[in-house]
Amino acid sequence: MNSPTKTKQNKLIIAKEMLGNLVDRRVLTALEVCVRCGICTESCHYYQSNPKIEHTPYYRAELVRRLYRRFFDPVGRVFPQWFGAGETTEDLLSKLAETAFSSCTLCQRCTLACPFGVETAEIMRITRSVATATGNAPDILVELANAAIAKEENAELFRDIYLDQIKDLEKEVQDILGSSKARIPVGEKGARMLYVPLAGAHTIVPQAVLFNIAQESWTLGMFEASNYAVFLADGVKAKHIAERITKEAEQVKAKEIIIAECGHAYTTMRWDVPKWRGSPLPFKVRSIIEVLDEYVREGRLHLDSAQNSQPTTYHDSCNLGRKGGIFEEPRRVIRAAASDYREMTPNRLHSYCCGGGSGLVAVEEWADIRLQAGKLKAEQIRQTGAKIVVTSCDNCRHQIKELSERHDLGIEVTSVSELAVKSLA
Amino acid sequence: MVTAGLALAGAAILVAGTVTIMVAIQRRPYQAEIAPTKGSPGQGVLYAFTLGMAPWAKESARRHWVAYLRGIVFHIIIFVGGLFLIASPWLTEFPSLLRVSLAALFALGAALTFAGFGMRLSDPALRRLSTPDDYFALALVTLFLASGAASAAQIEFLPAFWAISGITMAYVPFGKLRHFLYFFYERAFLGLVFGSRGVLKWKHE
Repeated sequence: MNSPTKTKQNKLIIAKEMLGNLVDRRVLTALEVCVRCGICTESCHYYQSNPKIEHTPYYRAELVRRLYRRFFDPVGRVFPQWFGAGETTEDLLSKLAETAFSSCTLCQRCTLACPFGVETAEIMRITRSVATATGNAPDILVELANAAIAKEENAELFRDIYLDQIKDLEKEVQDILGSSKARIPVGEKGARMLYVPLAGAHTIVPQAVLFNIAQESWTLGMFEASNYAVFLADGVKAKHIAERITKEAEQVKAKEIIIAECGHAYTTMRWDVPKWRGSPLPFKVRSIIEVLDEYVREGRLHLDSAQNSQPTTYHDSCNLGRKGGIFEEPRRVIRAAASDYREMTPNRLHSYCCGGGSGLVAVEEWADIRLQAGKLKAEQIRQTGAKIVVTSCDNCRHQIKELSERHDLGIEVTSVSELAVKSLA
Repeated sequence: MVTAGLALAGAAILVAGTVTIMVAIQRRPYQAEIAPTKGSPGQGVLYAFTLGMAPWAKESARRHWVAYLRGIVFHIIIFVGGLFLIASPWLTEFPSLLRVSLAALFALGAALTFAGFGMRLSDPALRRLSTPDDYFALALVTLFLASGAASAAQIEFLPAFWAISGITMAYVPFGKLRHFLYFFYERAFLGLVFGSRGVLKWKHE
């Protein structure tokens, strides 16, 4: 058995090795280019909601930068103090882990604020990897990632239960549409689209209603789109979890994978999975938002904005917007579905994170941290005067609902799909 | 003669260091976007190096306009200072109006660079995070521009300018001054990634 001292030493060795291996060109550049000018300070929602040095993007990155220089920089190895580097201890690793997981949602707003474009989120991402490898990641995220893998390994065990649940949901869809012909197909070969939901009927029923109206050739996925290993920056597990979906798409011979309203699941499948595979996916990947936008523009879905006359605003998910380029698609659908649409300021590229991203909503002990970090978003919502907040990410939805309770916003939080169903002409 | 040798030695270290850094960067893995693009990587890079740096495109620049403007102006002056260093062996042939103008420009640059000490020391957060490397780099660049101003005004200061330039250039690969090289990489990566994803483009709807 390892002694505690040896375990600590091993952790430091692992941290050093991982850091050395994970620093690619983008991360190396992000580590080296920062001059600590402080211009990015107010770009962070953490700092805006609670102004202290620990909430500045450059502080977070600097912790890692100094560690990196102590380990790998020729001058830093000999004179660590020259770069402000201190002793490398297990406490430092814990502090880094906490910073990367609880004080940064990897929203990348600071990158656009920086005169150089320092990608602090990339630095925090590899810090999460190191934390995960050294056992410093939040247990709940590790458990959720492991559960997703176990679910695939034991798919046959839950298949019948899942199909029964879907049958019940199908009845709901039929009731809404007043048609017994409406279906929620599962694992149907030859369907053009594989729709990948999240855990929750709100990501299945409204979408099924809309697919049926649009007469889409689709089938529902067996596995949920969320990928908690992405939050852990555990590349091996994240790839494994994502492959559940790509395998299913191959089995049903789908032409497209459609991801539910979920920020990280979309970014992962659309942009990251091809990199992990080393080749493009053999099918198109889109968000359900892009599909709904297409239906509205093509006249396959007729929405009546008069059905929703309450002031409505949209919160840009960082993953879909700033990291995914999906800005206008949800807005076009919402404008077709709601008569009093209002923008938050700032929005789109410069939208503030709600504070719930990158796995924070899953970690109960950090609820206060994320709700405080979301104070700015709550204020933005209040300023619009909106009564309905639409967001196309389940983490954002969860966070904004809690923000509403804490800040007494009196709003309803909904998804683009749900809003569209409410406005069916 | 000795100081000219110092400048040349510094330049040689700068070039060798720059090449070494570039090789080190290239040796690191790089994962380009493989997925079908939603936008244009080329347009993203172009945007990152042009409009993406415009003060009006950045809320942070509007908020910290003094620091941002200072940064832009003194970096331009440093670039001019580099050109001046290359041309300085022929300083006697410079028209006097040009020399006076350069002296004024470099003096402004030195003052702006020196102001960096004040900005670092007066802001508690920046003071806490500033390292000896930060202050040393500021001192070197301030001296580089101050000696450039002095030598443009009085040719007798040219040996001092060369000596300081040599030391400054020699230090570049070893400390924060090397950010000048990484800057180009960072903006390019930013443009490539966000351009591919349709995030950075000339005009959003």
